[in-house]
Amino acid sequence: MISSVKQGTRPMASWLSEGRLAAKVVVLLAIILAACIAVHSGAGSLVNVFVTGGMWALLAAGLALVFGVMNIVNFAHGESFMVGSYVGFYVFSPIRDYLADHPNPVLSLGAPLIGIAVAALAGAVLGVLSERLVLAPLRRRTKEGWIMNTFLLTAGISFILVNSANIVMTANFKGVPNYFDIEPVRIFGVRISVDRFAALLIAVVIIMAITWFLKWTRTGQAIRAVSQDETGAEMAGINLNYIHTLTYALSTAMAAAAGASLLFIFQAYPTVGHDPNFYAWYVVMLVGLGNVYGAVIGGFLVALLQTATQEFIGIAWADVVPTAVMILILIVVPSGIFGSVVKGVHEQS
Amino acid sequence: MSNHHDRQAAQGPAGALVQGLRRIGFSPLGAALFALLLLVPILPFFSNEYIIRWTIIGAFLAAQAVAFDFTAGFINVVPFGFAAIVGVGAYTSAIFSNTSLNLVFHPAISPWAGIWIGALVSGAVGFGLGVLTLRLRGIFAAVMSWFVGIALMGLARNMTWLTRGPSGMAPTTFFEETSNVPYLYIILAMLLVIYVTLNLITRSHIGLAFRAMGQNYDAACASGINPTRYRVMNFTVSSMYAGWLGGFYAHYVGSLTPTSIMDTSKTIEVLAIAYIGGRGSLWGGIVVAFPMVFLMESIRSHWTELPGIQFIIYGVLLILTMIYYPLGIAGIYGWVKKRLVPAVAK
Repeated sequence: MISSVKQGTRPMASWLSEGRLAAKVVVLLAIILAACIAVHSGAGSLVNVFVTGGMWALLAAGLALVFGVMNIVNFAHGESFMVGSYVGFYVFSPIRDYLADHPNPVLSLGAPLIGIAVAALAGAVLGVLSERLVLAPLRRRTKEGWIMNTFLLTAGISFILVNSANIVMTANFKGVPNYFDIEPVRIFGVRISVDRFAALLIAVVIIMAITWFLKWTRTGQAIRAVSQDETGAEMAGINLNYIHTLTYALSTAMAAAAGASLLFIFQAYPTVGHDPNFYAWYVVMLVGLGNVYGAVIGGFLVALLQTATQEFIGIAWADVVPTAVMILILIVVPSGIFGSVVKGVHEQS
Repeated sequence: MSNHHDRQAAQGPAGALVQGLRRIGFSPLGAALFALLLLVPILPFFSNEYIIRWTIIGAFLAAQAVAFDFTAGFINVVPFGFAAIVGVGAYTSAIFSNTSLNLVFHPAISPWAGIWIGALVSGAVGFGLGVLTLRLRGIFAAVMSWFVGIALMGLARNMTWLTRGPSGMAPTTFFEETSNVPYLYIILAMLLVIYVTLNLITRSHIGLAFRAMGQNYDAACASGINPTRYRVMNFTVSSMYAGWLGGFYAHYVGSLTPTSIMDTSKTIEVLAIAYIGGRGSLWGGIVVAFPMVFLMESIRSHWTELPGIQFIIYGVLLILTMIYYPLGIAGIYGWVKKRLVPAVAK
């Protein structure tokens, strides 16, 4: 049962004052947990939490956006991450080799950003192709059992993409040791590697850009209109096909950017998207399907849970503990911590 | 049901045979094809170990697809952790029949008994999953099943004192000789049992309740169907058979690792077969599994320089079916029958 159906997305701060007890309890627990981690293993782990959290936030926000606007459950989200990783590698490595012979401070600062930007572009292209070739035809044919159908269709897409990457790129890991050749910085007495800091910064910038886009531009408002009421939006003159393709492309571009910006942690290989897919889905299920702002916060929460599991229980149980937590939470709050945003009563199965 | 009246006209022992077959879920054509499967080791061209092995794999996938379709096609919940439940049965059976002294636990029960224990344990997991997902609708239940599947795989990987983790186990095989033929008859018998029992269940009032829940959950509840009882029943039966099949796999292949049997991609293989065969028809998966297995194998062996290309074709077929032929092979068969029967009757 969906216990609360909210209209579209709401400003970020309003949930603080509203009465979602589960959300408040969880955030409180998270703060306590973060403090425990900081005491146990130093502030460095907290920085890792933020970096990982930023990545999960990017991925989960894209997933939630696609669900909120198009009611599509995207199982191939991790593959956008993989494509971003590969493109980032193949754009950055040649520049890096060039820089080894012709040192250029401006270029060496900009090269990773170029790689990430091109990766985002490639992700957008992938999104447009997937949407036009697979999802739009399904939408034209039948809307019955839509949610489950898209889930399985995107599972098929994921299968195809992973195996294509395996053939074209081979299963070798392709990575870079670091993006920036700068010494780690000291902020508040904590040593942070510049790569991680840059990744976090990029994630925050992209999320803020998306938020601004959704709130203040006409196209962004059109996207929110479609997520609230498709028929009404169409009557207001919004081109549904365009909005659908744009939203999907945005989501894949965000995932690809995440993939490229974390190349120094996650090397590029065909199944690299498997874990990000799992965690993005975890976040989205935890906070409630379709809730974009909740997904952003949830990304950091899940990263916290992950790090806590690693620190206190051991890295081998990284698969089991999150699922156990999810089971507990879903038993108590089936619609997720921050509430689901599911469009249309008829499409609930 | 005009078909029923038409066929009552067939008299004599042939008519009685056809009626008997229909009662257990076989059309004459289906029964003939199944008999063909039983004769594979005797047929001249097909009687080499290579073909028999692939027929066994096909039957294994077909049986899984039937159990999968029992949940996905009827109560409309896609059990995305299906492969993990098969794996639980496989590992349970392997552990209970373990004879090596490397592991702490070596009861050394015969594999023939082990597979039943595997079925029971998997059934318990299915029962738990059914209870867990009671408050979750369609997609949420499917994703929950996926998470539980991943957690189970993680457990199998980490409990190395029980399962030897990623190094895998080497369970004792059913027979000591290396011929594939007895295994073929075992899996075909299992396939028959699974198909007939599930077909009988779905044709009873229980199956009607399943279909009602699958098509419109709220209306079914309003009509007095207890969703708890039926969902849990469905999950338990489907998982029991999954574990049973897992036990067969463990003692046929003789080697078991967490990723080789519990990975999500294995669920997608079974899912593709069940969907291309036609959801809600139990026999669709059987008809599709065998050609699919041989097609995939011939593609793989033909294009060895492109590893994994058969999976790409798998994915493309799944997508094409879901967009353009959502009713699958069973739907096409039904469409053809509707066109042909009036023509034949004239």
